[in-house]
Formats: sequence, structure tokens, C-alpha cells
Amino acid sequence: MALTLTCPVCGKRNGYEFRYGGEDKGPKPDDFGSSPETWCDYVHMNRCVAGIQKEWWCHRDGCGVWFTTHRDTLKNLEME
Amino acid sequence: MSRLQNQPTLRVDTNKPLSFTYKKKTFSGFKGDTVASALFSGGIRIFSRSLKYHRPRGLYSLDGECSNTGMEVNGIPNVNAEKTLLEKGMQVKAQNVKGSPELDAMGFMDSLDRAMPAGFYYRTMHKPARIWPIALQQVRKAAGLGKISPDFRMTGEFDEIFPTTDVCVIGGGPSGMTAAIAAAETGLRVILLEARPWLGGFFDYRQSEFSRDLPHYQRARELEARMQTLPNIRVFTHTAMVGAYSNNLVTAFQIGNEKDPFDERYLEIRAQSMIVATGCIERPLLFENNERPGVMQIACAHRLANTYGILPGKRAVFSVAHDLGIEAALDLFDAGIEIAAVADIRDNPSHAALVSELEQREIPYLKGWVAREALGAPLKSVSLTTLQGTFEKKLECDLLVASAGMTPVTGPLSMAQAELAFDQHTGFFLPKSLPVGVYAAGRLLGLNDSRAIEASGQVAGLSAALNCGKASAQALKDAQEMLAGRPQAERGCNLVMAPVKGRKAFICFDEDTTVKNIKQAIDMGFDATELIKRFTAAGTGPGQSGIPGHNLPLLVAQHHTDHGALTRPTTMRAPLVPTLMATYAGTNHLMSKRTPMHERQKQDGGVMRKIGVWNRARYFSDDFSCRREIENIRNNVGMLDATTLGKFRIFGPDALKALQRVYVGDMAKISPGKIKYSAMCNEDGCIIDDGVVVQRGENDYYFTTSTARAGITVEWIRYHTRYDGWDFNLVNLTDAFGVINLAGPKAREVLSEVIDADISNAAFPFAAYQEFTALDTIPVRIMRLGFVGELSYELHVPGSWMETLWDALSEAGKPFGIANFGLETQNVLRMEKGHLIIGSESEQRTTLHDVGLGGLWDRNKPAVDTVGAVALQQTENQEKRLKLVGFKMKNTRTPPKDGSIVVDDRIRGHVCIARYSHTLQEAVGMALVEDPLHAVGTEISIYEDECQGQLVSATVVPMPFYDPKGERLRS
Ligand SMILES: [Zn+2]
Repeated sequence: MALTLTCPVCGKRNGYEFRYGGEDKGPKPDDFGSSPETWCDYVHMNRCVAGIQKEWWCHRDGCGVWFTTHRDTLKNLEME
Repeated sequence: MSRLQNQPTLRVDTNKPLSFTYKKKTFSGFKGDTVASALFSGGIRIFSRSLKYHRPRGLYSLDGECSNTGMEVNGIPNVNAEKTLLEKGMQVKAQNVKGSPELDAMGFMDSLDRAMPAGFYYRTMHKPARIWPIALQQVRKAAGLGKISPDFRMTGEFDEIFPTTDVCVIGGGPSGMTAAIAAAETGLRVILLEARPWLGGFFDYRQSEFSRDLPHYQRARELEARMQTLPNIRVFTHTAMVGAYSNNLVTAFQIGNEKDPFDERYLEIRAQSMIVATGCIERPLLFENNERPGVMQIACAHRLANTYGILPGKRAVFSVAHDLGIEAALDLFDAGIEIAAVADIRDNPSHAALVSELEQREIPYLKGWVAREALGAPLKSVSLTTLQGTFEKKLECDLLVASAGMTPVTGPLSMAQAELAFDQHTGFFLPKSLPVGVYAAGRLLGLNDSRAIEASGQVAGLSAALNCGKASAQALKDAQEMLAGRPQAERGCNLVMAPVKGRKAFICFDEDTTVKNIKQAIDMGFDATELIKRFTAAGTGPGQSGIPGHNLPLLVAQHHTDHGALTRPTTMRAPLVPTLMATYAGTNHLMSKRTPMHERQKQDGGVMRKIGVWNRARYFSDDFSCRREIENIRNNVGMLDATTLGKFRIFGPDALKALQRVYVGDMAKISPGKIKYSAMCNEDGCIIDDGVVVQRGENDYYFTTSTARAGITVEWIRYHTRYDGWDFNLVNLTDAFGVINLAGPKAREVLSEVIDADISNAAFPFAAYQEFTALDTIPVRIMRLGFVGELSYELHVPGSWMETLWDALSEAGKPFGIANFGLETQNVLRMEKGHLIIGSESEQRTTLHDVGLGGLWDRNKPAVDTVGAVALQQTENQEKRLKLVGFKMKNTRTPPKDGSIVVDDRIRGHVCIARYSHTLQEAVGMALVEDPLHAVGTEISIYEDECQGQLVSATVVPMPFYDPKGERLRS
């Protein structure tokens, strides 16, 4: 509830306006799909960092852009 | 009872009487009264009976720190009568009593305290386990607060606002107002919250001098007037702050007055800086019977006289530890109360002048004395003692003003994650370090001097402004010097309790926890305050630790002096004050979208239902089997408002790549004028959407999604292309276009009446797409589809033209028997045709293969590039999956309910949809069943509600049920 995020288009906005898009894992790896395990690792496995994490957010109720930002998961605060 | 008329600090308007009822009698109060002050004025002294022991309880703090004045008002239980403004005609009732508060049949509970030691419920009553349900009933009857009727319906308007500000000041007393002014003068936007219905804090009711010829209450009015000249200050009175979160998000609840369009509203304030100036409440003095009606805190007695014009008693004894206590004694004496004595726990009062004023009035002043026991019910006398308990004396009185000193209201600070530490000098929990952008001012810092309190507000206001990039460092430095020049925090009283055993010394009123209970908990081995709080329930009641919050950690620390343990406050949590559930719920959030045909559909007899985000016509008659609607589509022609379909334009050099990414089919095979039907899956290969795509120009496509996916599709496509940097644009046209589904064997004849072009089956065949101009004016995109299994056209038309085109078609269709059809008809028709709806015939685990649409997946596309394709490869031949099948009921024309389970010796699947088919004259449906059961001819058993153990049988049959060759929709 208290989270604010900085949209690259609209600036700092209320966290209610955004949808979480998961950790930033980078593009699909080259071996994606070569086995059920490599596929599952990329799609479902997360690092769940307790601390600062780079992640995807969508400005759903605003301009609609997807962007990455760094958030401290322990404090639920976006890094400046 | 008449009111004191000559008090300049009165907040009641004695020209405006308000009548209300209590105990079936009519009472009268005045505008400005609370329910409690009006009852007190009417002679009521006992307001409730306590939770456990049914002890009588009366006015104590007047600020809602305990549930003593919890009453039922207009059917709402647990209303805090001392904080609720009186309204005309209110129905007030006592709660948790058998009989009346004065004569409570459960009063004997008080003598049973020895049978109910600390943790009584936890430690008894569960062995043997069968006792508990019986005990539970009895405990519930004897203990408790208010009751609510199961059919009670809350009335009133509940709103919510989400303001943003630079500085949020919590507390409208002298330091809060000074801080707000200081910050606002730098040009910043300021929001100030005050819990009481008026500003002024502890200046508001005081007639003593702030400075020469300027009483405190006048000073408060001056500050208020100064604030009114600053339009960038927004003041919310009668607004209690209830929570603070990171990023200085502050939540509060405001109680509306008669001019407001709401009864209560929720505030969620985003601030750059936050100033906590909540001041102090009093620390309850612990002695025997310390909560007897007639015993009250300083400000309670003082405000009854000065704010409400009510004398709190006839003959009073004071047992206090603060100058405000002496000031109150002087004021009450001057108002006409006899003061038997003022006992002061401290060796030295801060201001000798106050003591000489007592002497002038010949009021005995007992230094180093304290109340030991309140006697009589109602209060008849008090026994006083010296601090060591050496000497005692008994004084007759009907009012005992008792307080162990002040305690800072630190709830907002601790919610804001400020670190609080015990300070030996003041005896307060003071902020040791404050988070960025959080500031504290005023009495909660231990300040007593009125100008120091204001100066600290000035410092906090400028600090908050500096944090917002305004105010000069020099101005702040000057303010800090000003504050340093004033008297600093005073030494606080460190007495925790009078020298008594504490069997009836209540540390928490709400939960009936005595000092003895705390000692019992410590003896049982509890050492942490937080655990003692849980075990004894002290501070867990509606008062949110207002009464025990300070005393409990002090008392526990006393027992730990040998270990040198730190004195810590218990954790504060939101809501800091009790709040109505209705206010939390706020306004009705159930909003739904309407199509351009909404009113017309209703006029035509449409039975509207909220379906997803939309309001849609489900039926057009009260025959919910829709027989006539269905037959009309199969034999003639009908129209469905299908506007809710998701509609999108995607264009740009990389538009095709984006479509290839999310659709399982090969979208490169789209040819102009032809419709491509395809599906989207998630990464697990589970089907999430189906729809059609058409090409309208070079790199320019128009596509539809299911109604449910319309809201998320843009986000979905952008998410799955987020690493690619592709150049395409995506526009959601869902609300821009209306859609008419014109279906039935006579659809072509109707359509040709409005379109002047060759639409013969040869010129415009099944699965074709073409753009026309209807009535020589209206641009319309037409797809020839067949969701309901008949010849049909989907007309996409700009929303503003929707009604015009609809009317034209209705008119043209009259000779052919055209009629509306609703969603239920569509549902039956498409089921007969074996067409599925994502979410009905699929659930989260259902793959494209499971619903038999595997053929839509183009396996020549690189799997890595298509969302879900890798999983489609991996699950294609997986066994034991739930597969979609068609079934016909055996021996019955009654279909099972949607969602009924398919069973043999265990659950094997469920019915997705089943209806009696008027077309086929039998009950048919679709089910997801485990794969050995999916073979055609298998007999499945279905368990239905109310089947009383008699399973119903069905046979798996091939789909579609209707027109298996698809001749009708191609005709
Ligand atoms: Zn944005």
C-alpha cells in the first residue's frame, strides 16, 4: 500500500497503479526448452532476494509501459 | 442539570438542546455534547459493566482510551460514547449488563476474581477437550462487549479520499498548529489532522495564562485564525490518524459533520514529510479500585467543567503528579467544587506559584501523598497514604481526580518505525531516532512550557519544509535557538503504583487485568512485556493500549531491575483507534461498464446481470431455459449485443512478430479478407484466450479477445515482448467499438437490407472479413463467424453508431421475426455446437491439447519464440490429464448443475456446462474428465447436490452435438 514507483514516462506514482511482473531474469536463455528442467527454471524458479532486487513493473493504470526498477524487498521501498 | 454558563471555553451551545433516549427515558443534551457528556449531565455515572468481572465503569479519560463508555447507539454496538457527538433522537443503550448498569445481575462476577487468575481461559477449560464447547458458551454469555443483531444493516454514507501533500501534521494542538503554519509559510501544501471536533489540543480548555492577559484557549484561537489565513493548509478535524507506513503514507478516519456528504470517510495521505504532534494523555495511577466510577483523570474532570460546563462532582480529592492537576483543582474550585485535598506524588511542583494559589484558596496540599484505595460504590471516600505506606488518612469525596503523570501518544511515531527508548528523566518513551522525513513536536517530547511547545512546533515545521526542499537552514537554526532558550523537558513522576497489593488495581480496564494478574504472569515465568500482554490480555481491548500502554512496561521493568533488562513499549499496530468496518469498506466499489445498447436492452426486457466488468443482458424473458430465444435463432434470426468482446489494433513494422509471439498459430499465414482463428497460451501451455485476427493493411492488424481477457491483453503482449525492443503500437478498441452478432438462417436477408453490396455466400463466405458502409454512412467491419452454429455475422461498428445500426437491423428484420437473444441463449447454442468459452470449459491447468484445440498450434514455428509452445511440446502426450469431452445424459432429461463432479471411486473431473437442449431434445453437456474416461462411449457417473447418493449417469459422445459437418454456419 505504501509503495510508490517511478514510471519512466509518468514519474513517481502510487503503487496501486502498477502491476508486478516478477523478478528480472533477463531474456529466455539459449537452452530454454531443451529440457523440462531448463524451461521450468526460467519460467517458475525465482531467487526471492531478501534485499534489493531488480524487477519488472507495468504502469497498468497509467501509460501501460513495462519497466524495470530496483526495490528493497525487506522495506518494500523503491530505491532512489 | 444546568450547565456552567460563564465558562469562556465552552464547546456546547446551550441554546440548542438535543433530546435522545436512554433506558427508555428521554434525556437532553446540547449541540456540541458527546453522548457521554450529555448522559453525565443527566445524572448517569455508570456507563457500562466490565468485560470479565462486570464491575461498574464510568467516565475516566473522556478521550476514548478505554471502553468504559462503550455503548450501543442506534443499534451499533461498542460505540465510544465519550467520542461520539450527540445527535437528536439517538437511541442509546447500555451493553454487557443483565438489568441496568447500576444494578447488573452479573455483578457477583467481581467476587470471583480469585477463581480467575491470569491466563485462566488458556490454562483451564481445555482438559478434557469436550469441556471447551460448553465452557465457550458460558464464557460468551458472561464476558463480552456489545452484541450485534445478525440482521443489522449499516446505514450511512462512507467515502474515501486519497490526498497528496508536502507535509502532514498529526495533531491540531499548539505544536501541531505552529508546525503547520511554519511549513505552510514556506509555500508548501500542508494537511493537518485533529482527532477532536475542534482545534486547540490541551490549550483549548485552559483558562490559565499563556502570556500576560492571554489565556491558553485564546492563544489556541489565535493560532487557528492564523492557519485560516493560509489557504495551503487543509485542516481535517474529527479525524483520527490510524496508521503510518513507509514513504510517509498516513491513513486516518474522518467523522463527518452535518454539512458533510459522508458519515465517515477513510483518508490515505501521501506526504513528503510527516510531523507527529499528538501530545500526551495521562498515565493512570494504579491503586485499589482505581477505575471506580467517580475516579477520573485530570483532563476528564477539567474538560467536563470547562468544555462541557458540567461539574464532575461536589467534593473532590486530587491525587496527581503534574502541574496540570493543580491547575485543574484551582479551576474546579473556582467553578464551585469543594476540594478536600490535593495530594501530589512529587516532592516539588514545577511552579511554586500554583501551590500558593492553592494556599490562597485554603486547599490542603499534601506533598508525597497518593491515593491508596477508592472506597464505596458509588464513591464515598478515598484512603490516602504516604509513598512508603507509613501514614494513612481517609477523606470523604464523590470525585477522585487521579493521575500518575503524563504519557506521550507515541502510536503514530512507532507506526512510522521511529525507534523509541525509555528516558529516565521524563519517564517517557522518547524517539531516539526518527526515519527520514518524520518529525516530532510538542508535549510528547516531554516539554511542558507552553512556549517551548510552540517553539518545538516551529522547529518541526521548518525541518519538515527543509526536507521538501523549502525553508532556509538559517531559519531552522534560529528556531532551534529559540527552543533552546525555553525550559527543557521536565522531570516526570516515576511512581508506577501506590503501595498496595493490587488485587483490584486495574492496569487494563478493557480486559479487566489487575496488577495482581501481571504479578501472576511474571511468577509463572513470563518475562517479556509482549508475552505478558498476550497472556493477561492487558492492552488488547478496544482502547488499543491507551490505559496500560505506558504502565505495563514500567511495571514489568520494576520486576526485572535485577537483570538490568531494557524497558520497552509494546508494539503499536493499525488501527490506532477503533473504526467502523463500514468505513474500512468505503464506498461501493462494484462498478460495471455498460455497452451503448444498455438502456435499449433493458427496455426490450433484458434481465441484466453483472458479468465480469460488464453489465449484460442474460435473458429476455422469465423463462430461464430460453426456449423461444433459442428456437428463433435456429429457425429465424436474432441479435446479440456482443460489445464486450476485446477488440484491438496492432500496427507497426514488428506487429506480426508480436502476434507470432503470443498466438500459438502461424500468424504469417493470415491473408487479407480472411479470418484467422487462434488461441493464446501461458508459458505452461494452458489456454488463456481465443479469438480472431484479420489483416487490414500492411503491418496493420485487428484482433479480438474474449471478454474476460480484454483488460489484460495489452499488458500481456507488451510483457512478452519486453526484452525485444520491437517497433509496434497496440490500441485497445474494446470500448470504442460496439459489436452486434446477427445470427440465424435468415441473417443474410436482414443484413442485405442495410448493406448495398454483394454478400452472397460466394462473395462473402464463412470465415471471410470485409469492411462495408451500412446505410450509405456507417463504417462497419463484418466478420462471418459461427459461434452459435448458424449463419452469422459479427458487425463491429463505432460505438456512437451502434444504436443507429441496431435500429436499422431490427427494422429490417421484422418480416423475418428478428428478436433479441441474451447470453444464456448464446451459451446453450454454442454448447450444442461444441464451441468453448475459456474459463468455462477450461481452468488454470487446462492446456490447449486438453480442450482439443491442439490443432491451432503450429509446430513449425520456433517453440522458443512462442509463449507456451515449449510446454505444449512437453505436455502433448502426457497421461492422466483432464480432457474435455461431450456427454449425453442417460435416462433423464434433467442436466446436472454446472460444476457437478464426475466420480467413480474417486473424483475424476467435473461438469463444465450442461443444459437441456431444445434442439436435440435431450440433456447434453461438456465435462473435463481424466483421460481414461474420455473415450467415446464411456459411461460416467456424476454426483450432484441433492442427489442423495444416487449418482446420475451419462455417456461420452463425440462433439459437436449439433450440425457436426458445419453445413449450417457455412450456408
Ligand atoms: Zn506511466
